Amino acid sequence: MATLLRSARPWAGTQARSALAGGLWAVGAPVLLFALFLLAAGVSPIEAFAAMAQSSIGSSYGMGEMLVRAAPFALTALATAIPARAGLLNVGAEGQLVFGALGAAAMAAILGDAGAGGLLLMILAGMSFGAAWAGLVAVLRTKLQLNETISSLLLNYVAYLLVSHILQGPLKDPASFNWPFSPPVADAMKFPTLFDSRVNLGILMAPVAAIVFAAILAKTYWGLNVRVTGGNPQAARRAGINVPRTYLTVLLIAGALAGLAGVLQVAGVEGRLRPTTGVGFGYAGFLAAWMVGHHPLWLLASSVLLAGIAVSGDALQITSNLPSSSVNILTALVLLGVLSRPRGQRAA
Amino acid sequence: MNRRPRFTWSAVVMSAALLVSAACAPAAAPAGGGGAPAGGAPATGTLTVGFLFVGPKDDFGYNQAAYLGSVEMEKKLGSKVKVLRAENVPETEEAERVMEGMIQQGAKVIFPTSYGHLDPALNVAKRHADVTFIHQGGLKTSTNLGTYFGNIYEGVYLGGVAAGKMTKTNKLGYIVSFPIPQVLENINAFELGAKSVNPAATTTVVFTANWCDPGKQAEAANNLIAQGVDVLTQHQDCGKTIVETAERKGVMSVGYHADASSLAPKGWLTGAAWNWGPLYTQEVQAVLDGKWAGSPLAGKYRVGMKEGAVNMAAFGAGVPKDVQDLVKSKQQAILDGKLAPFAGPVKDQSGKERIATGVSPTVDVLETTDYLVEGVVGTIPK
Amino acid sequence: MIEIIAAVLGGAIRSGTAVLFACLGELIAERAGVVNLGTEGCMLAGALGAFAGTAATGNPFLGALAGGLCGAALASVHAYVAVIRRANQLASGLAITILGLGITSFWGRSFVSVQIQPMNSVSIPVLSDLPLIGPVLFQHDPLTYLAMLLAPAIWFFLYRTRWGLVLRATGERQDVVYSVGATPTLIRCLAVIAGGFLAGLGGAQLAVAYTLNWVENMTQGRGFVAVALVIFASWSPFMAVAGSYLFGGALSLQLALQAQGVGVSPYLMSAVPYVVTLLVLVLVGRRRRQAMPEELRAVFEGGAGV
Repeated sequence: MATLLRSARPWAGTQARSALAGGLWAVGAPVLLFALFLLAAGVSPIEAFAAMAQSSIGSSYGMGEMLVRAAPFALTALATAIPARAGLLNVGAEGQLVFGALGAAAMAAILGDAGAGGLLLMILAGMSFGAAWAGLVAVLRTKLQLNETISSLLLNYVAYLLVSHILQGPLKDPASFNWPFSPPVADAMKFPTLFDSRVNLGILMAPVAAIVFAAILAKTYWGLNVRVTGGNPQAARRAGINVPRTYLTVLLIAGALAGLAGVLQVAGVEGRLRPTTGVGFGYAGFLAAWMVGHHPLWLLASSVLLAGIAVSGDALQITSNLPSSSVNILTALVLLGVLSRPRGQRAA
Repeated sequence: MNRRPRFTWSAVVMSAALLVSAACAPAAAPAGGGGAPAGGAPATGTLTVGFLFVGPKDDFGYNQAAYLGSVEMEKKLGSKVKVLRAENVPETEEAERVMEGMIQQGAKVIFPTSYGHLDPALNVAKRHADVTFIHQGGLKTSTNLGTYFGNIYEGVYLGGVAAGKMTKTNKLGYIVSFPIPQVLENINAFELGAKSVNPAATTTVVFTANWCDPGKQAEAANNLIAQGVDVLTQHQDCGKTIVETAERKGVMSVGYHADASSLAPKGWLTGAAWNWGPLYTQEVQAVLDGKWAGSPLAGKYRVGMKEGAVNMAAFGAGVPKDVQDLVKSKQQAILDGKLAPFAGPVKDQSGKERIATGVSPTVDVLETTDYLVEGVVGTIPK
Repeated sequence: MIEIIAAVLGGAIRSGTAVLFACLGELIAERAGVVNLGTEGCMLAGALGAFAGTAATGNPFLGALAGGLCGAALASVHAYVAVIRRANQLASGLAITILGLGITSFWGRSFVSVQIQPMNSVSIPVLSDLPLIGPVLFQHDPLTYLAMLLAPAIWFFLYRTRWGLVLRATGERQDVVYSVGATPTLIRCLAVIAGGFLAGLGGAQLAVAYTLNWVENMTQGRGFVAVALVIFASWSPFMAVAGSYLFGGALSLQLALQAQGVGVSPYLMSAVPYVVTLLVLVLVGRRRRQAMPEELRAVFEGGAGV
């Protein structure tokens, strides 16, 4: 495990201390700035932070909510990080998640109530749909040389609008009086929950995927190919690596993982597909991946951090009368802090 | 590069201190800054009531109406209640978290005021049998979740009457969001009202697929006006843009959800507005008296103009007296039960009869509306 | 019939203007070699800044200026992080957008129900009476006219002035820039800030001239569309105009069709600008995409791609 943590890091181990200092600046300064914001709004930062801490880590319900939100963040973070190791910048986790959610909801609607087997099929459908959406990006990149950042960003909007259109039409729940929702997923096909909370077993897919891919990237031949391609595609080509095939594979994997996040929402806490399901999760995962330099294991921590911030936003509103989207300020400041941190060595 | 570490360390120390004090605070003080006693149990007699709004509380529309109702209830019941409010709560599973947060603060009654909050509310209701949920507009109930809504189409019908009388081009415009039954009901009521005094009046409908996108609203309004529409109305959450755009272009407007007449001194006709205060007060009082469960309030409770839940906003300065009297007399007819907006015969756009002569459909039937009546221009997006 | 066409075309210009401002601003920044995905955040900052400024001063022009300055201020953060600290531009841009969303939601609460002095349309005498062209081109608000004039002005600046040449050089080959005594870093920062100012003006137009409203997240992704349209436009100001009005046209057309009774899916119609952008990028081929400033290639990584 320790070797996994060390060897998969994109920057050399000797920079550990400046990296730590950089990390603390990245989190400390944003917290201070956010506190200033709160003061300017007439809210006591102590009270606000207390409410935020209480609602996320201060109760078992809060921690459960944090984990429930962190899991899809981690999956979309992987969907960003894995292509990034190959040198691709996939901003499309957002659309891939939504499209995967569509696949899962469609499968659920077709199957009706099919028990645990149905859940498995939903997972497969969701992953396939997500992979297909990312595959579009891959094809545009490898066959038509269209940059994946642009195409994945545009496809996010197309995915969202396409899903909304389908929810208004073929996938609309006949029992929902023309509201654009999908039929609810049968209880037997949802991820089983723990205790009396919303924590469902499906969230385990996130750490499992992270560990699996950390191992693959660090230890396997294919993982080496990916990292070499990310380092220098020309050199990779000369070394005999099939670069286009590598690009295609990492993007398909990314799409499948993002689609899995979509399944997690539909078969987990949401229980059906709505036009707003999972909106913003892709970008949160993007941020989580960037914060840790695309390290497959550390992104679990950054996902939990971002999830905790997101979850605590509601507490801010109820107790301090601030809009819940104020936490976006903290999230953004943290990322900017990370990006502008002092570094021993410039990361790519 | 030398200054960096010192600044970093001081930042670290300060932020660590901040975080530590923040984390310690809940142990010493009550959760959140409200000053409520620890554990959330209210002082004897104080009932904590929570409200969820899907948008901002001052949107001149849907949420404002609910907000004003909560304010009136709070004033009427005084020290017996403590009110918590959350705005911009999305219609996703996040709503569950907001409700749980309120329950953690001691809420025993929760009003989720947007349709999409229903599923999350049902889930939370299952987990907290001691909390009463009172949902706006929902069509499903459970043991501790009741729903309410108002027959606002009565007010919309009267708005249509005013519009039908005041229009010079016989073209009316309706900007809406999604083709759900409540929206279609309103469109139909408006056209029926207009036709009842002006058989040549038509209503053109535009679906923006959004409850509040000012850009789309402005564009839709401009397009309708360019087509010759001279009275605009809407079924959107936020009402400001359309009324203001109409006023700028010199066309008349009929409001919805809330009174926006201050925005359009010249062109405002009237509007159907919610008056939730009395109903909210009635609901909360019933909970206080322990009489809520098992009463009609715990089911699908529907109110209308008779109960005062739906009012007509004041007439604008440009409305002549004879039109005002006509609308008022029709309003009285509705209150007396002599006039029903949807009394048959009512035909849809294809000419098929949907409501037979002499039949006046119940609210349950109306809430399955999936067609548009004759005289409405526009198709339901599929 | 002709009124309907005029309404759609006029609507295309009306609703495309906000995007056009942001697109032109982003074009300047990208010409210098910096991508600013924070354009969306800058537009929101501009919308709120303009709305608040107008509410405070009663003058929509001052408000628009305030909006531009707010957009510039937010963009300066991106300039610091992405240009001076040399962080990844795309990640920084996204963070800026999220920051803009958070800040404007935070400060904008008290402005939701406020009424402001609108920036009224000004019909240009004589020209606005021309059939069809009149209502389409000459009956708009001052900011829309400004946007129309800005495109040729920027073209002139880029291709006919010395500083425009230096700007383009910064994006193509920055060694050249040193030889004229300028520093690429400074030019990039200024370009990003200028881009933010224009994006702010776009948001201002949306709030103060078009909708007269402030609502949380009211730009609904127009900033990202603007960034995509810069590529669609091959970094040329005139094509930016075409792209922005195309976007506005798709929006306007869908609503006009509905008003005519034609049943169109609002979702599919809203997707048209994005799909069209993708198609154009794909179909037009490498030749056009090679118009990309060299420095941007490094940003988008992988020299083999666009």
